Amino acid sequence: MRMNKKAKSKIFHYNFFSKNRRGEKVISVYWFAILFIVAAAVVYMVFIFYGQPYDVREIEADMLTSRISDCLSEGGYLIKENLVTDNFLQNCNLNFNTEDSYGWGEQEQYYFKAEVKNFADGVLIFDVAKGNPNLKDFCGKEDSSFPACVETEVYSVDKEGNQYEIKILSVVRKTEKNVN
Amino acid sequence: MINKKGTILVENIIFIILNLVFLAILILFLFSHVGGAAVLEEKYAKQIALMMDAAKPGMEIHLNVEDAIEKADDEDWEEKIINVEGNLVSVKLREKGGYSYSFFNDVGVNAYPDTTNNKEYVFIINENE
Repeated sequence: MRMNKKAKSKIFHYNFFSKNRRGEKVISVYWFAILFIVAAAVVYMVFIFYGQPYDVREIEADMLTSRISDCLSEGGYLIKENLVTDNFLQNCNLNFNTEDSYGWGEQEQYYFKAEVKNFADGVLIFDVAKGNPNLKDFCGKEDSSFPACVETEVYSVDKEGNQYEIKILSVVRKTEKNVN
Repeated sequence: MINKKGTILVENIIFIILNLVFLAILILFLFSHVGGAAVLEEKYAKQIALMMDAAKPGMEIHLNVEDAIEKADDEDWEEKIINVEGNLVSVKLREKGGYSYSFFNDVGVNAYPDTTNNKEYVFIINENE
């Protein structure tokens, strides 16, 4: 009986584990193993996140569309002097030269197509396309490794009151510097 | 944890210190990558290229690049950190680094550090001759 009481008191004693610390050392090993796994996961996530470049192609394509739109129409009025296919880039102050990295010197990284139609009967009165025409084939496909496409429609009038619809498609590639 | 004499065991102190050291190393690693030179170079090159795309002749643009200047100082880079040649923006904050990005706007750009505010860069947009 005395031995049982002694044993019970030992079980509920605050120093019950004091004689056997080997279990605590084993738990510490597992604890640091978990910490290491957590640290490895955090490092991996940081590298994945900060290893991704900033993708600004859609903003660029949007700005290109806006620039072409301003070139064809100002204040809502069609600029008929710019409805010329030759020297369209120069007239609209556009320069499609890029840095000669990743073979960009041989492959243009921009493309746009602009169409001006008579709003009343839909007759095409002007269209122009400049840049790399192969890029438009990637439009409509949801993949970040494909070029970024932006399509816009604006409406314009001339001094005689005729209404026009201007459709602009802009494509920016530059995949190597915007996608990992 | 507390023995009969009421003192805290050394093992627990070491355990807590090791945990704090681990957390400190992790936070240092995170901060070193967040403000890294490579990230800043890419960020400013693309930001300035987009600014140039939207700019028109006659504009004067002031851009706060304080963190880039500080990073260049840390890397002992004393030359110009931002260059615009033709339609190409180059940002360089260290000797073995640099990032370039082109823009499609056909304008002439003159970029230089602001003499009145050493945290900013000035961009003067002109007609391209």
